[in-house]
Amino acid sequence: MAPVIEIEQLTKRYGQVAAIDGLDLTIDEGEVFGYLGPNGAGKSTTIAVLLGLIRATSGRARIFGLDVWRDAPTVHRRIASVPSDANLWPSLTGEEALRFLGNVHGSVDEAYRTELIERFELVTHKKIRAYSHGNRQKVLLIAALASRPELLILDEPTTGLDPLMERVFQASVREAAANGQTVLLSSHILSEVEAVCDRVGMLREGRLIETGHLDVLRGLVAVRVHASFDGPVPDLTGVEGIANVVVDDSTIECEVNGTMEPLLRALAEAGVARLTTREPSLEELFVSHYGTGSDA
Amino acid sequence: MITSAELAVARRALRQLWIGAVVWSIAFGGTIAASAISYVSTFPTEAERQQVAAATSGDAGLSVLLGPTTAIDTVGGYTVYKCFVFLTTIGAIWGLLAATKLLRGEEDAGRWQLVLSGSTRAGRATAATLAALFAAIGVLLVGTTAITLAAAQKPGVGFGTGETVLYGLSLMVAPAVFVMVGAVASQLCRTRRMASSWAMGVFGLCFLVRMVADASPDTRWLRWATPFGWTELVQPFTDNDAWPLLPALVTVVVLGALAVELSSRRDAGSSVFATRDVSDVRTFGLGSPLGLAVRLDLPILAAWCLGAGATGLAFGLIAKVATGAVPASLGDTLDRFGAEGSFVDQYFGVAFLLVATVVALIGAGQVGAASDEESSGRLVHLLAGPVRRATWFSGRLGLAAAGIVVAGLLAGLGAWAGAATQGAGLGLVELLGAGLNVVPTALVVLGLGAVVLAIAPRAAAAAVYAIVIGSLLVDLVASMVAGLAWTAHLSVFHFMALAPASTPEPATLGLTLLVAAGLLGAATLLFVRRDLAQG
Repeated sequence: MAPVIEIEQLTKRYGQVAAIDGLDLTIDEGEVFGYLGPNGAGKSTTIAVLLGLIRATSGRARIFGLDVWRDAPTVHRRIASVPSDANLWPSLTGEEALRFLGNVHGSVDEAYRTELIERFELVTHKKIRAYSHGNRQKVLLIAALASRPELLILDEPTTGLDPLMERVFQASVREAAANGQTVLLSSHILSEVEAVCDRVGMLREGRLIETGHLDVLRGLVAVRVHASFDGPVPDLTGVEGIANVVVDDSTIECEVNGTMEPLLRALAEAGVARLTTREPSLEELFVSHYGTGSDA
Repeated sequence: MITSAELAVARRALRQLWIGAVVWSIAFGGTIAASAISYVSTFPTEAERQQVAAATSGDAGLSVLLGPTTAIDTVGGYTVYKCFVFLTTIGAIWGLLAATKLLRGEEDAGRWQLVLSGSTRAGRATAATLAALFAAIGVLLVGTTAITLAAAQKPGVGFGTGETVLYGLSLMVAPAVFVMVGAVASQLCRTRRMASSWAMGVFGLCFLVRMVADASPDTRWLRWATPFGWTELVQPFTDNDAWPLLPALVTVVVLGALAVELSSRRDAGSSVFATRDVSDVRTFGLGSPLGLAVRLDLPILAAWCLGAGATGLAFGLIAKVATGAVPASLGDTLDRFGAEGSFVDQYFGVAFLLVATVVALIGAGQVGAASDEESSGRLVHLLAGPVRRATWFSGRLGLAAAGIVVAGLLAGLGAWAGAATQGAGLGLVELLGAGLNVVPTALVVLGLGAVVLAIAPRAAAAAVYAIVIGSLLVDLVASMVAGLAWTAHLSVFHFMALAPASTPEPATLGLTLLVAAGLLGAATLLFVRRDLAQG
């Protein structure tokens, strides 16, 4: 599949501080890419460069094969974005803001916009100044989704949304993906990324420390195994690939790295009664990555 | 019992104010000292003083423009007269802008709500902010008085300590009253810009009433109607009458209590003038970024344009009174501003210098609005869409330029209409020309503001205010102190012919326009190349 976003050795410095440092990233057509990182990791800076709002110190960033700085207006006709700061014109109503944003963008699917307004339960005749943060965010989300762009760039777009609306948002993103739209979703809400993204990249201090499909990434972190026994609990000393073994009266809990086979053989011999395994959540993945490097 | 939260509010407000207060107290003290000392050296003998007094006393024209011309034969009387308009104007504008910034500005930005979640209430927090504003005025008073007392040590100046303090107090009337006007406007209006505009409106009205009050003996009673009149009535160094400070004090207390009361009665984030939060769709201006800028800024631009028209009208209406009985030697005074020709022409020439100030300040508002659009993060919605940076930037500047042209024309039209009712005998074309004559200079100011906007957006509006007010001060100092005449070159108004008194040269006008175009173009080039300010 053709790459939609290509970032090569991208660096953005503010004086001595590198907000992003030698970033390489490619996002293909139709992908929903989760861009993860703690606050200040450089997520918003990357997006500002991609949107042509700030200029890279060095390196290259292209969208649809076009330079993000030089060809910004051309690129922007085919994309839509939602910033994390939901500041809009206080004296406009929600409806007026949506119309204005639609006119500025140039392409709007009116029927879909009406549907989105209903789904997000947005009261559009109220003025922006009377909106909560979450409602202002909805205006921007609806405007972006309703333009049905080839690429959606979303920077922490669900700040202020309640859990129900968060679900509406996730459904809309999945719908966009089903239509073949590409999505870059920057977030630190892991459940959100886990719910909608195919692939994630983890950013830390301006560098990508991990990218990959969620399944593959999960393989990098231990699986937790919980086994209970009717009879005596076996001694697992010497079984390959296990760690953090906790033995209770009739149960064993441990983590497995790599293949499960040696553990399963040992458990079967001991007459295991019940066995449950749990995949690491993205959160554990996250903690395992950021937790280890924090002393660096 | 004052809580720690209220102390923190006051301290934080004072931290934002004290540098300005110190700078202005130096400017105030410096202006006063320069006036007093230059008078002593220019008119050393009693005979010379009598001569200058005879030339100006009872002259309504100068009174209207620059304030009361009584007692010009004394150092004190002359100093009070010379400094009156400039110091009261600066004091009033500083006061009202500081109040709306610290009250409505903080609330607009959502920080006020954060303050109110602490152990204080809206009324008490407002009172704490007002206390800080008064502390800043205290700094201004002490600094101004100290510098004036230092100048009083010069031989020949001879101000007494008591009367110097009274003079300082009279100069604090305008800042103190307009701090309160700003505080009440902050309770009435929903946004900082709206509150500042309302307070500026009150200022404009008071300014005009003061001019009318000084126009003739019949209107003199109007001096009791405005803060500027109260300052005038004190007549420090000559009459030393402290009574007019009483209405000022009463006004300050009443307006202050009103502001505190209003703030405690309303919800945080709301305003007394209810803005309807529900509305039908109005499609005007939703088609493009420039359209929206027109829609959002039209009320303020219209107010400025009407203000310029009203200023012109006011000058026109009093032209006859002002220039009625002119002593022959008076022309010399206006000559120092560079005005030539008949006295009516000279009068309008200097009047249009003040119009130019009003028109040039339109650029400040527009540059400030553009910078606000950027720093608030709203500009991102446009530039992350298919809007070209140059299109947005030049659109905003174009809107400001259009406002400047309309304001110039309206000022000319107003002056003509006012003068025509009085039979002052100046043609429409001539006065429209005088109105348009201020446009190129105002565009240069806009260009300078645009360059600052393209480099450091947050400093842009302040830069334009500094350029315009600084230029006016430079013009004042240069016309006053012979040795400093060369500084006039630093004023943006220096190269503007004082039409209709002097005929503008096409070459100068063309060159000014060229400079303006160059600055605006350079600003656009700089803007498209820089990083957007991130909210």
